[in-house]
Amino acid sequence: MASAALAGGADAGSARRPAPATIWLLALTGCAAAATALAFALTNEAIGAELGEPLVIALLNDWITVSFVSCGLVAWWRRPESRFGPLMIVAGFVNFLTTLSWTTSDVPFTIGQSLDLLAPVLFLHVFLAFPTGRLDSRFQRVLLATAYALAIGLEIVRMTLGGFGPHNLLEISSNVGAQEAVTRVQLLGVAACCLVGIGVLVARRRRVGQPLRGSLALLYDAFGLALVMIALLFGSLVFDGPAVAEIRWATFVALGLAPAAFLVGLLHSRLARSAVGDLVVELRGDPAPAELRDALARALRDPSLELVYWLPEFGSYADLDGRPVRLPSRDGRATTQIDRGGEHVAALLHDPALEDEPELLAAVTAAAGIAIDNGRLQAELRARLQELRGSRVRVIEAGQKERQRLERDLHDGAQQRLIALSLELSRLEESLDDDPDARLRLVEARGEIAKSLDELRAVARGIHPAVVSGHGLDVALEQLAARAPVPVRLSVAVPGRLPEHLEMAAFYLVSESLTNVGKHAQASSATVVVSRAGGQVVVEVVDDGVGGADTERGTGLRGLADRVEALDGRLRVWSPQGGGTRLRAEIPCVS
Amino acid sequence: MRVVIAEDSVLLREGLERLLTENGFDVVGSCETADDLLLKARSYSPDVAIVDIRLPPTHNDEGMQAALELHARHPSVGVLVLSQYVEVGLAMKLLAESADGAGYLLKDRISDVKEFVGAVERVARGGSAIDPIIVSTLLSRQRRDDSLSDLTPREREVLELMAEGRSNQGIADKLVISLRAVEKYVSSIFGKLGLPSGATDSRRVLAVLLYLRS
Repeated sequence: MASAALAGGADAGSARRPAPATIWLLALTGCAAAATALAFALTNEAIGAELGEPLVIALLNDWITVSFVSCGLVAWWRRPESRFGPLMIVAGFVNFLTTLSWTTSDVPFTIGQSLDLLAPVLFLHVFLAFPTGRLDSRFQRVLLATAYALAIGLEIVRMTLGGFGPHNLLEISSNVGAQEAVTRVQLLGVAACCLVGIGVLVARRRRVGQPLRGSLALLYDAFGLALVMIALLFGSLVFDGPAVAEIRWATFVALGLAPAAFLVGLLHSRLARSAVGDLVVELRGDPAPAELRDALARALRDPSLELVYWLPEFGSYADLDGRPVRLPSRDGRATTQIDRGGEHVAALLHDPALEDEPELLAAVTAAAGIAIDNGRLQAELRARLQELRGSRVRVIEAGQKERQRLERDLHDGAQQRLIALSLELSRLEESLDDDPDARLRLVEARGEIAKSLDELRAVARGIHPAVVSGHGLDVALEQLAARAPVPVRLSVAVPGRLPEHLEMAAFYLVSESLTNVGKHAQASSATVVVSRAGGQVVVEVVDDGVGGADTERGTGLRGLADRVEALDGRLRVWSPQGGGTRLRAEIPCVS
Repeated sequence: MRVVIAEDSVLLREGLERLLTENGFDVVGSCETADDLLLKARSYSPDVAIVDIRLPPTHNDEGMQAALELHARHPSVGVLVLSQYVEVGLAMKLLAESADGAGYLLKDRISDVKEFVGAVERVARGGSAIDPIIVSTLLSRQRRDDSLSDLTPREREVLELMAEGRSNQGIADKLVISLRAVEKYVSSIFGKLGLPSGATDSRRVLAVLLYLRS
């Protein structure tokens, strides 16, 4: 494909900066080309008749050539990894080559004339290939291929049909009518391609969106204007519109302005680098990791910026709180990876428009280096904490499951058998009405079994309070309140059932607290309130006893705190001397 | 009297079947799941259903749910819930609507055949049977204003038996005193506790339990 060949040929420098000598040589060649074109125009009186004032036309043509070549050189120097600069340089020189048609020698004339419409198509190519120098969709490649075919293919066809004067080496026959028809098709075709190109640019400009990216919007406006002018000029030529000469001049001016807009954009991103300076100053103040993101967002002028850290041990990205983050798979967000010392440390998720300013991104990420390391350490620490908390919950849950299984085994096994045995003894007793001694012994045996059952029940209940999992917190707490050592006012305002581990925690909390009230508080009454509000379950046990409960001494309260904290909750105890004890647990509860 | 049994332990289920049959009951159905129980209770119209509180599949509260449903939908069928632990909260849940034809006993009680058979008969006739542990737990409950302390020891005994669901005659037999004496104690208790007297056996069970619970 023509476009690929052209772009590929110009992109030989790949990611390395071009040698300064190359730049200077190309710059000098550009100047020489401009001078040569001027000379062509001034020495050939024939073009005056066709295009208007030769000097004006030559100067405007040089304006385009110089503009594209010089801006192309700057772009190549600044972004050697992009093909955009070389593509602009090629466009500039091809624009010069078209002026060969102003000469009166056969070969240069034929070459110049055959390239006549290639220049505008190359401009279209440049505009669509911004900023990488590549066309990013199949549609655009097809559009450009069509345009190139129209520009070169039909030009040669046109030249074979004659009508270009005595220097046209390609002329085979002289069929002016056919030539003019082909010209119309060619001009309208290229104009249509330009109009489609405008559509593509408008769509891209919409995506830029952000107010701070004004220079980028200006750039697309300049590109769009140039394409509008090309289309307008070709339309006027085909339909013999008025003021063709003026339109031509305006078109040339607009075409030369487009690379200038690109230069303004580059300057703008240079200005943006002063934001990097601000960032460096800010980072010198050693900001907290939480502030780093904001500082980076300011420096990059992207309020939507996200900073995620790479945790190799976990094999995933995480935010500052250690929560795992998945990188978006191109849903309107772009990702820039940050490496330090050859090691991948973090990634920025940002507006795709920032990809047009790779130097800014590179400078900002380089400046943020140490602060990013700090943030990453924090993220790693928090991730470990979360992992630890998770494993604590799992340990508690596993313990609970195991206890539940044990209780069930006791219930289904020993307890049932003992009851059945007692029942059998009882029936035996009925049948022995004439042996009082044996009856007495059977009654004693049944009494022993009853005692065993009581003990077994106490053991089973200690292992796992089945009533909690079976019938819910309110039922289980009622029994606790009924057996409490002081009068208890109980209020359970929790609609429906809570997750089992929460019910279990609340049950143990109340059970342990009421036991403490009986042991230490010397209280005359207590209140137990369980409620659910704002995504958390709140358990409160208040007594009117002597207070002074020590949260640190004694394993009771510490054990309760552990249980609550394992569920990500918080246990607080107020126990002033003589002022009673108030224990409040808040446990998060989603669902 | 027609009985349906829902108990998932084969040992106990068969024991219960034998025990009840030997004592003149007609065991019209026995099963091990709550769904089966509801089905059998509908098709065999028993006088009483004996239900284990923990039934498959989860062994959590299927038995209790079935008992509550039966109690609400078929008031003519007495429901006697058996459990290896007795909880005040569960008793109150079962009796929430009425204590008519409702019973809640510790499983161990079945080995005291005479008492157990009496309880099943009471529930089948629309009376109630509340486990003594429930009653004693409620009685021992700490209170701010303890009007129970006004009761004489004998009155306390009568109150306990009354709360278990026994009739005046049943209380008289149990304490080996005259029916007349029981009636005197009962009206004295109701007076001291400020409860409305003259209720049927099961009504007064609920009244006493609610009083003790408050």
